[in-house]
Amino acid sequence: MALHLNLLHEEISEERMRKRDPLKLGIKALIGIGALLFIYYGWNAYRTIQISSQLSTARGEWQKVEPKVTAAQKRAAELHRIIDSTKVLDGLIDERFYWAPLLAIISHCVAPNIQLTSLDGGIVEVDHSISVTLEGIAAAREPRAAAEEFRQLLSEQLEKGYGDVKVNFKNLEDLDTLISLSGTPTASARFILNINFDPTPGEPGKKSERVEKTEPAKPAKPAKPAKASNDPDQA
Amino acid sequence: MTRIKLNKDQIQKIFLSTLGFIGLLYCYFTFFLGPLNRSRESMTAEIADMQKKTISSKDELKKTAKLELQAKEATGRYEALKRTTAEGAPIAWFPPKMRSFFAKYGIDKASARLESSTDFKQPEMADWIKDTWAIELPESEYGDLGKAIADLENTEPLLAIERLVIHAVPDQAQAQQVSLFTQTALYKK
Repeated sequence: MALHLNLLHEEISEERMRKRDPLKLGIKALIGIGALLFIYYGWNAYRTIQISSQLSTARGEWQKVEPKVTAAQKRAAELHRIIDSTKVLDGLIDERFYWAPLLAIISHCVAPNIQLTSLDGGIVEVDHSISVTLEGIAAAREPRAAAEEFRQLLSEQLEKGYGDVKVNFKNLEDLDTLISLSGTPTASARFILNINFDPTPGEPGKKSERVEKTEPAKPAKPAKPAKASNDPDQA
Repeated sequence: MTRIKLNKDQIQKIFLSTLGFIGLLYCYFTFFLGPLNRSRESMTAEIADMQKKTISSKDELKKTAKLELQAKEATGRYEALKRTTAEGAPIAWFPPKMRSFFAKYGIDKASARLESSTDFKQPEMADWIKDTWAIELPESEYGDLGKAIADLENTEPLLAIERLVIHAVPDQAQAQQVSLFTQTALYKK
């Protein structure tokens, strides 16, 4: 067997040492990992750029929509206000009491021997009922009976259109002076009537309570809505 | 298996390399990847928010268009009711209006005075005002008065007669003295 002598063993070991230098290896490893991390960063940056472009698209879309939405919100608020105001105004209109039909009823009930001298009517704030005071003079052989007839007729007519009708004498007194009725001197009586009723029509067939009854009550007629018409010709 | 023996210099170099590696990772995550990820996340959240807002806005636009259709009648009515209020201060135009209105029915010398002017309690009626007027008709025939009141009630929807007082004029059998207390809803102009 031939003897093999390594005369360059020092150089070889130095070469090996140089190759196994941990700093060099570490730097190489760092460069490798750094490259990988850079690639990963690049990939993330690319995704971020894509998202950024999506964001700018979304922003653009929103900028287009925003003025319209602001205007729409403003308009919606205005419409809600208009609707609510109209509801309140409609309520005011619907809750009004029409005086013309009442004046028509009163005028139709006044017989030639009755003269009304005063009418004072108003809406009671508490329950929105109508209160009317009528003053007048009745002339007849029996003036009190004439006044009572007027009261009953008025009550019946009012019941046709209104609810909870109450027609009461506040005062009824004979007058000493005679009144000339169609050229004939006739006895007279002064009366004051208090009328109260609910402007909404009452139930058909239901008669309201009367305080001063002198004659038996006549059968009630079906109620008719008073607010259905406010024809000037009625008056 | 040969065991590698590390000398002091090599150990120092390995330690240095390890430090460098840790430093690299720290710098990478703290100054590069971290901010990038945060920025991406915030952008993603902003996109989601924008999309949500855009979708809800589109819904809102649709709702408003629908409401516009539904409120067409109310809007028309509201405009018509607004038009019942003339331009200018009511005290300037309401009394002449009433004078000419009653004159049409042969009721002359009608006068109207403002009794009170208050705001409505309802918040939705902030643009409207409630005026109370006393209308005096010194001489009127009952039939003409009835027709005039009926016409007034029919043509003036926002006018409500609160009180009506009729007195016979002593020397004139056909004439009545009338006081009307009315309430009007007027648009603030």
